[in-house]
Amino acid sequence: MTRHVRTLCILAVLALIACDESPSIGGGPESLDAQLRRQFTQWNIVPIGEAPLQAPAMVALGQALMFDKILSGNRDISCATCHDPTEHLTDGLALAVGTGGSGSGAARTLGVGRQFVPRNAPSLLNSAIGLPYIFWDGRLTRFGPPLPDVVLPTTDLLQGQAMLPVLNRREMRGDKGDVDVFGNPNELAQLDDTLQNAIWQGVMHRLVAVPGYVTLFNAAFPSIPPTSLTFADMAKAIAAFEMDAMMKTGSPFDRYLARDNNALSVQAKRGGVLFFGTARCSQCHNGPFLGGREFSNSGVPQVGPGVGQAVPLDKGRGEILNFQFYQFAFRVPPLRNVELTAPYFHNGSFATLESVVKHYNDVSTSLRTFDPSTLPASLQASYHGDIATINAVLATLDSRLQTPLHLTDAQIADLVAFLKSLTDPAARDLSGLVPASVPSGLPVR
Amino acid sequence: MAPTGLRAVCLVGLLGCVVSPARAQLIPIKTVPIAQGDQFQLFPANNLGMGSVSIALADSLADPFSNPAMGTRLTGSRFFGSPALYSVSRNAGGGRSLPLAVLARRNLWYGGLALALQRVDPSRPPRPDGFFGFGVAMPNSFNDVVVPDPIPAPDTRAHGNEYAFAMFGRDLPGSKISIGASAFWTGLHALDGVDLLYAGSQRVAQDGHALDLRLGAVKAWPGEQGDRFLEALVLRNDFAATHTVTYADQFWDPGLQEFRQRARIEHNVDQTQTWGLHFKYTVPLTSAGWRIGWIGTLNRSSHPKIPNYELANVPAIPRDPGYTTAFDLGVGLSKTRGRASFGADVVFEPIRSYTWAAAEARMGTASGDTLAVGAKTIENHFRFSNALLRLGVGHDFEVSGEKKLVGLQLGLMLHSIHYTLNQQDNVQDLQRRLTTGWMEWTPTWGLSLRFPEFEIRYAGRSTHGAGRPGSSFGPVAWAGRDVALAGGTILAAPNGPLNLTNVNTTTHQISLSLPLR
Repeated sequence: MTRHVRTLCILAVLALIACDESPSIGGGPESLDAQLRRQFTQWNIVPIGEAPLQAPAMVALGQALMFDKILSGNRDISCATCHDPTEHLTDGLALAVGTGGSGSGAARTLGVGRQFVPRNAPSLLNSAIGLPYIFWDGRLTRFGPPLPDVVLPTTDLLQGQAMLPVLNRREMRGDKGDVDVFGNPNELAQLDDTLQNAIWQGVMHRLVAVPGYVTLFNAAFPSIPPTSLTFADMAKAIAAFEMDAMMKTGSPFDRYLARDNNALSVQAKRGGVLFFGTARCSQCHNGPFLGGREFSNSGVPQVGPGVGQAVPLDKGRGEILNFQFYQFAFRVPPLRNVELTAPYFHNGSFATLESVVKHYNDVSTSLRTFDPSTLPASLQASYHGDIATINAVLATLDSRLQTPLHLTDAQIADLVAFLKSLTDPAARDLSGLVPASVPSGLPVR
Repeated sequence: MAPTGLRAVCLVGLLGCVVSPARAQLIPIKTVPIAQGDQFQLFPANNLGMGSVSIALADSLADPFSNPAMGTRLTGSRFFGSPALYSVSRNAGGGRSLPLAVLARRNLWYGGLALALQRVDPSRPPRPDGFFGFGVAMPNSFNDVVVPDPIPAPDTRAHGNEYAFAMFGRDLPGSKISIGASAFWTGLHALDGVDLLYAGSQRVAQDGHALDLRLGAVKAWPGEQGDRFLEALVLRNDFAATHTVTYADQFWDPGLQEFRQRARIEHNVDQTQTWGLHFKYTVPLTSAGWRIGWIGTLNRSSHPKIPNYELANVPAIPRDPGYTTAFDLGVGLSKTRGRASFGADVVFEPIRSYTWAAAEARMGTASGDTLAVGAKTIENHFRFSNALLRLGVGHDFEVSGEKKLVGLQLGLMLHSIHYTLNQQDNVQDLQRRLTTGWMEWTPTWGLSLRFPEFEIRYAGRSTHGAGRPGSSFGPVAWAGRDVALAGGTILAAPNGPLNLTNVNTTTHQISLSLPLR
């Protein structure tokens, strides 16, 4: 019996010392899928839902307005000139060519005496996705200060964006003294810059004079007499067109997000793991849009005529908010369909995705050794490669970019493969969006 | 000393029971240390409080449920009920069972019937309402915004299982052989812990059944020191369940310009078919009261369909067929002297399991090849070297006369799980190797009161060393998954480090046994 008691005691002691640690097991290297899925959670990468259906009459009106040069002071440029469906809703140029230019797409050239628009024309692909900042400097936003010089009659960013280019002399309105393509005075250009409402009313005055637009107005706004419509209503129609026709979120990456593990190639998955991991791309390009939510000084070469008080430089967000962090900082662009929207950065200074990734591989060296011959000939003279400018840019370089990545060529290729997986096949050919004609009768292209 | 029962693979703790409602002879497989409730501890056992030792120590109550031929030891007819309650610490789950059974003998024939009802609580904590996103939601400025389907709330209800057991057998006079057969059917709507394996799911509806058929025989050779016994058993176990899993997927709504959720429903099928063969041989030792026994068990399982389990937002790689071969090789020692008894079992449990995923579409590989539809994209080779140790002691004390006894039991079960996974990823053209393991400890205890008119037994046990994801209401560190769980067996191939929150599972069972005259 004593032995049994002893055994009982031993068992009791064993039970007491039974470890109470949190159970865990080690793991081998994660699979690419496991890594990616985990990284999605970490960086808040979620699928994009379906765009809401739009009223067909609004879409039809928006499409007409988007392609009609009647909105420009000189009747020589439409929204679609710089947001050309055949160029994936941008223009293929490093810097946009506004009114007075000739040609279309990447072949478009400056008019005599005209200057480039100081920044690259962003693609309108997925412009309706719900970005919190619009324009390279994010001046149109739901978060920050209102526009300094324009009072928009709408809180909707997409509609607000559509109202601004018609005010801009270099983009669409023209300079005082301009005449339009018919040789008639450009009445919109004669108006003072502060008279935004008058400019918008002037555009509306043109539109209601076109019978085709009256028909479209009656269909889109049946309860509002055409003469009572405002340009904000036009912007609403343009936004409806963008929502209806320019949302392209059916990329392999999106299918992968929708749980199809076969949607991405192995190389793209490797690139994705790099993108969200050691390459640190996702530190800026995160969230459902893979960017679009913050600003970064990415050490981009200064090219172009410059903006605001910093001319000939372009300080980007720093021109609006005079904080050290924002000097030479620009909106981190969303990345879906990025393969189709070259050239890259706010001034189009890099022509290929490979060159962009190589730039990020060692930003400081890339900026210091930037070869201006890679720029279009028309822009090479406007490259500001002096050491003072380079040092100024690097002085506020985003801290996340100050350490070289040391990516190998193979890794760079993987990253590019991943970036190309963000392309919706339906976005490759958007020529179907171009109407055969517009109500004004002006040439579409 | 009475002959031992035929419980060659006394299932350790909670997880073993998951494999089959019918206990023993089915070898559990688990590759992640997930704690599972003791929901299949339905029927009473003499040795439950003694660490469930079973090789060399007989268990006249439990043995007929493991091997129907062991009904030969029934000396009379009896009725019993054994309500049981199990719970998982940190409020992570629990359940209640009420089995009722009759075992009867008439001349050379014997048999039994049992029915049980069970309620199993949800095995995960309720999730907080609401999700947050960045930024400020913009008012909807567009027409005709499509409102996503409503998402059902988390299912906090308990769900029920039903059990039915029948056995019969016959002694063959003159040959000292008895043969028996049994059938155990289970209607399953709540397998404890399954919902934990669908991380991020809103609710998991289970619907399935298990059928366990057994044919057993026992042969006795009388001897001076005691009888020798050879027991044999063939079993067939079919398990099939469907898991209807509702997820609440977060997405960005471009119309409302905010994060929203929408319901996604997946149907997963879990099927396992097992053939089992089991032998046990026990002999008395020369010293008085000592017995020694050996067991050998073989399970061959096929997994025609394995659920697409998902751990912490790591979506499933479909697990398609697989198969498992498992062995139990054990030795047990027991001593019974007067009213004291002691038992110990040591079991080595080598298991080989092979599962794979099949390509649902043509796939390019890293090496530039193309995998055809149905080709194996990932192959998992598991090699287990598990071990079981069971120890238990018990003593009955006389209370006011020979026929009233109070019994005390104490025991300990240790289950060491150790395995190596060799995984071949035919898409990435990679191989990886994982060696890991853990130990589960289960102290047991028991108290019995035996009177001529009836018996009351209480037994309890508490398993430590396993955990549950999310049971501490904190972040879950599932780094990955490659999961195959079949018939309750967990065959996950972890893709990375896995950390669980430690929980204990505790079971209490009270059994009342009445002789029928």
